[in-house]
Amino acid sequence: MDTPSPPQLRPEHLAMMERGVSAIVGSCSRALVPSVMRALGYRLAGGGAEITVYLGRSQARQLLQDVADTGRVTVVFSEPYSHLTVQIKSARARVVPVDGGALAELARYQAAMELQVGLVGFEPRFVQAMLNHDPADLAGIHLLADVAFDQTPGPQAGQALSPNPSAA
Amino acid sequence: MSTACLPLSALRACLEGAIPSMMATTAIDGTPNVAYISQVFYMDEGHVALSFQFFNKTRQNILANPRATVLLLHPVTAQFFRLHLRYLRTESAGPVFESMKAQLAGIASHAGMDGVFRLLGSDIYEVLEIECLGQPLLPDAPARCSLLGSLRQTAQRLSACTSLESLLDTCLDTLQALLGIDHAMLLMLDPLTQRLYTVASLGYDRSGVGSEIALGDGVIGVAARERTPVRISHMNSAYLYSRALRKSVQPGEGAIPSATEIPYPGLHEPHSQLAVPIVSGGRLLGVLFVESPQDLRFNFEDEDALVVIAGHLGAAIDHLRDSTQPADAVAEAAEPAQSLAVDGPPLRVRRYQANNSIFIGDDYLIKGVAGAILWCMLREHRTRGRTEFSNRELRLDPTIGLPDVSDNLEARLVLLQRRLREYGPDLRLEKCGRGRLRLQVRRPLELSDVAA
Repeated sequence: MDTPSPPQLRPEHLAMMERGVSAIVGSCSRALVPSVMRALGYRLAGGGAEITVYLGRSQARQLLQDVADTGRVTVVFSEPYSHLTVQIKSARARVVPVDGGALAELARYQAAMELQVGLVGFEPRFVQAMLNHDPADLAGIHLLADVAFDQTPGPQAGQALSPNPSAA
Repeated sequence: MSTACLPLSALRACLEGAIPSMMATTAIDGTPNVAYISQVFYMDEGHVALSFQFFNKTRQNILANPRATVLLLHPVTAQFFRLHLRYLRTESAGPVFESMKAQLAGIASHAGMDGVFRLLGSDIYEVLEIECLGQPLLPDAPARCSLLGSLRQTAQRLSACTSLESLLDTCLDTLQALLGIDHAMLLMLDPLTQRLYTVASLGYDRSGVGSEIALGDGVIGVAARERTPVRISHMNSAYLYSRALRKSVQPGEGAIPSATEIPYPGLHEPHSQLAVPIVSGGRLLGVLFVESPQDLRFNFEDEDALVVIAGHLGAAIDHLRDSTQPADAVAEAAEPAQSLAVDGPPLRVRRYQANNSIFIGDDYLIKGVAGAILWCMLREHRTRGRTEFSNRELRLDPTIGLPDVSDNLEARLVLLQRRLREYGPDLRLEKCGRGRLRLQVRRPLELSDVAA
């Protein structure tokens, strides 16, 4: 099977993702029932070509099961204040254990989100509650980006971003 | 999968649009998709409606595979919930669609998305399961325990009213005193013209009594036409509901002066509005409308409260009307009249037959059935010297042309009385016993009837 070229994220998309923004993860079962949960944080590598999202097992049991069963996942990154949104899909996802560096990443992510969500009127304690987790409950999903879509609200929403020729 | 933890009604705070919900769908080839959804609208315990705004991947997916999962976040407690849904149908007209359309305009305004968000349809979903994730970590907002008590007091005060006029005034006074609502209007439906006319108002520079709104115009007209509450939590000038009201006035016809419109009294820059239809026995009687210069002033609990009050009003209006129907209008002895001195220059009153519009001097007073009632009384007064009239004779007078016996004559009389009071002291209409009215004329009358 050919390995798809990773999508070429626009600079504004990648910069947004690197700032630490809302990340919502979805998958589906073999019976085509969708599953969805908010990520507690994420790690980017290769200019967004590789992503690891972190979730609480107890709140994302079905989602983790679906990814393990199908290898399919989608993640929507969105900046609450600007509505800048990008969706990245992968059919090459797997559930991975959480390594020692994740906790520091999650702490940095929470601090970033306190700023982001604060811009739309919510207090830090709301973000802290929203992202609250037990470290022992954490799981990761690692994915290789296959396709990406601009999902910023507007007439262009849904347009696929072109593949990155240099990464083919 | 978790079992249902709460009834859907307990999640209504999540559906106010403060935090957008996320919707997951699946293509027929198994590719998942996640998208923000502007609106999850509570229909009943088993159904929600989601806003269909764009022909996008979500749309394609649910038409091919009706299963959807929506992630909700409580805006105060930060607790997550998942709704497991099955798509049933799309509605592009009717009460749910109109309520959502108005609410979406408010959400769009709040999100800076005016012009981008447009409701193409209301996608109706069956709720298969509600999943509660974890426990709330933050305390919920204190329950508005006073709301039920306020409703109780409102119901008691309304139940004590013995006339339509006192019912309308008591309703507005109570909204202000018990619910802190400072701007409100009560409008009644004219079944002949299918327009709503203002009979009472609260908190405006001018009362606007007699101002009219067509069914379907603005928040008020849509609530009436669709018989559903319409609530907007963020208004801005891009959404023309409030302007539509001002534009709904109609030009003059033929020989009738065009100034036969009373200006709509509403707030110039409302930020929150809520209109609730007043229905009794399945018939639309009018609309209870409240507004505020603040964003987010009215939430779903205010809507619930006003629906209860409007229901009570509807029953009370019908009851009071029935108690003055011809069959049981027991003639009461009229209160003794005080003789009035009639002097000064003549009061010139014109009636235009085409629409029964009445002018005093050059000032427009009233038109339609209320105009016909006043003209009938003035004619009787001039030719026979009469000052007292019964509701019964007005109801049966063929020259007045009430549409049918169920017409709310009382509401038209309240409108007429209030317009005369606003005009001045020379011509008044006051109650003088149950089902009886007295015309008070303080200047000589000069009547002229203008043919159509």
